[in-house]
Amino acid sequence: MNHAIISCLHANLPAVEAVLNDIDRQGIKTITCLGDLVGYGPQPNEVVELIRKRGIATCQGCWDEDIIDGLNACECSYPSQLAERRGHLAHQWTDDQLTDENKSFLANLPTSLRRDRLLFVHGSPNSQHEYLLPDMDAFAALERVETAGADILFCGHTHQPYVRELRGGSIHVRLQNADHDSGQREELTLPMRKIVNAGSVGEPRHGTTNATYVIHNDATDEVEIKEVAYDVGRTCQAIVEAGLPKVFAWRLSHGFEFAEQAEDASHVCER
Amino acid sequence: MIERWALVSGLLGDLETYDLIQRDLKKTRGVTSLFVLGDLVGPERNCDALLDRLKNPHRGDLKPDCIYGWWEEQLLAERGFRGERKADALRLSQGEDAVNALLNTVNPSHLNWLASLQFGFIELDCALIHGSSSDVGDNLTSETSPLILLDRLTRLNVNRLFTARSTKQFHLELTGGGINSQVKDLNGKREQQQEVPKRSVIGIGAGVHYTLYDVGSDKTHFLTAGSKTNPKRKGFA
Repeated sequence: MNHAIISCLHANLPAVEAVLNDIDRQGIKTITCLGDLVGYGPQPNEVVELIRKRGIATCQGCWDEDIIDGLNACECSYPSQLAERRGHLAHQWTDDQLTDENKSFLANLPTSLRRDRLLFVHGSPNSQHEYLLPDMDAFAALERVETAGADILFCGHTHQPYVRELRGGSIHVRLQNADHDSGQREELTLPMRKIVNAGSVGEPRHGTTNATYVIHNDATDEVEIKEVAYDVGRTCQAIVEAGLPKVFAWRLSHGFEFAEQAEDASHVCER
Repeated sequence: MIERWALVSGLLGDLETYDLIQRDLKKTRGVTSLFVLGDLVGPERNCDALLDRLKNPHRGDLKPDCIYGWWEEQLLAERGFRGERKADALRLSQGEDAVNALLNTVNPSHLNWLASLQFGFIELDCALIHGSSSDVGDNLTSETSPLILLDRLTRLNVNRLFTARSTKQFHLELTGGGINSQVKDLNGKREQQQEVPKRSVIGIGAGVHYTLYDVGSDKTHFLTAGSKTNPKRKGFA
């Protein structure tokens, strides 16, 4: 059976509507959302209410967490003071706009969802703030999936959709204990595991302006990365009219951005 | 001068054991540094005399470089040095009596010094940490999955991780292996191969059980204070 995974909606209602329409057209009934319903975009209440109305199973993203708990991430969150100032502006604006009911919804989202051998998180099983980039150390990537007890880990946060299969792994070790004079040797065969990043519905950073999401078939484990065009201009206009930083509209209209992602993405947030 | 490090942990306020180790080190050739990897304090005995000695070494003592361990973390949390966190891990595992016992073993005059201790040291290509790069309470043993050990090494980008939390003495060397990965995105597919880097995790022991590390030759020696063990016999390259 096919199910759809969406992430990083970022208060972009036209993008969310277009993606949900695309999923509906394919007759897919099960949708999982990996968080970041709000932040950067101009329609936080509308997006949260649409997800609530559709009853879409959702885990909490880093923006959803920050809106509730306040901004107290370590310095890894922003690569520059300018980016940090823009991020704080968007945080304040979103905080002012969100209704208490919608804040309560975000506050009560789980940090992960599990269905059998499938695990759904926003960033990584360790933290909503950790980036699992497609080219990160393969052993560290496998450790995230394996330690969480999953076969397939679905994540978002990077805004770059990808499917990474980790296979054929082994680690050879030599062990010396205090009471053994000679080292004993062992070989650990590592299991095959997969990381699926759903990209971003509301703020894509993969090179085009299209929203992205993924479809997973739980019988074959096939994963398809989907791109959906939407009315980017409508969102950009709403960003400007809301008084949010114009650069948010600019980067949506260009389909890429340089800011708001830590330069050292392998850094593990100590928050 | 070729460096030789002494690595100690889990003293739990036991000045007698620390004195025994210092006497051992005086008789051992070439020890240039003494690292105390946490758990200076514990709930079993008054720790003030040991803390005084660590802060103010006797003449002839090898000067200790200390970091904090799991017991210090619990103490400092309960004493309000860790924000809103309390000694929850201790309370959960050993109950309220253990928390009270711990509070009674350390004079509050030592708290600022304990709070000034670092999480760990990076010396050359080695990390010296009570638990691991993940957490001060991370209990790494020779039974821990090598995948997790490799992750802890990778997080700090070091070749050797000296850990104390398990109280065990072991030297686990990653000697080989690899992994294949395939990444598929909207631009297509690409394959990557990665080899296991040659790295080690060393459990240094606790209390009278301590470790010497020869930096130049990368040899570890597992010792017991007060015994007549010859470091050469227990060496592991």
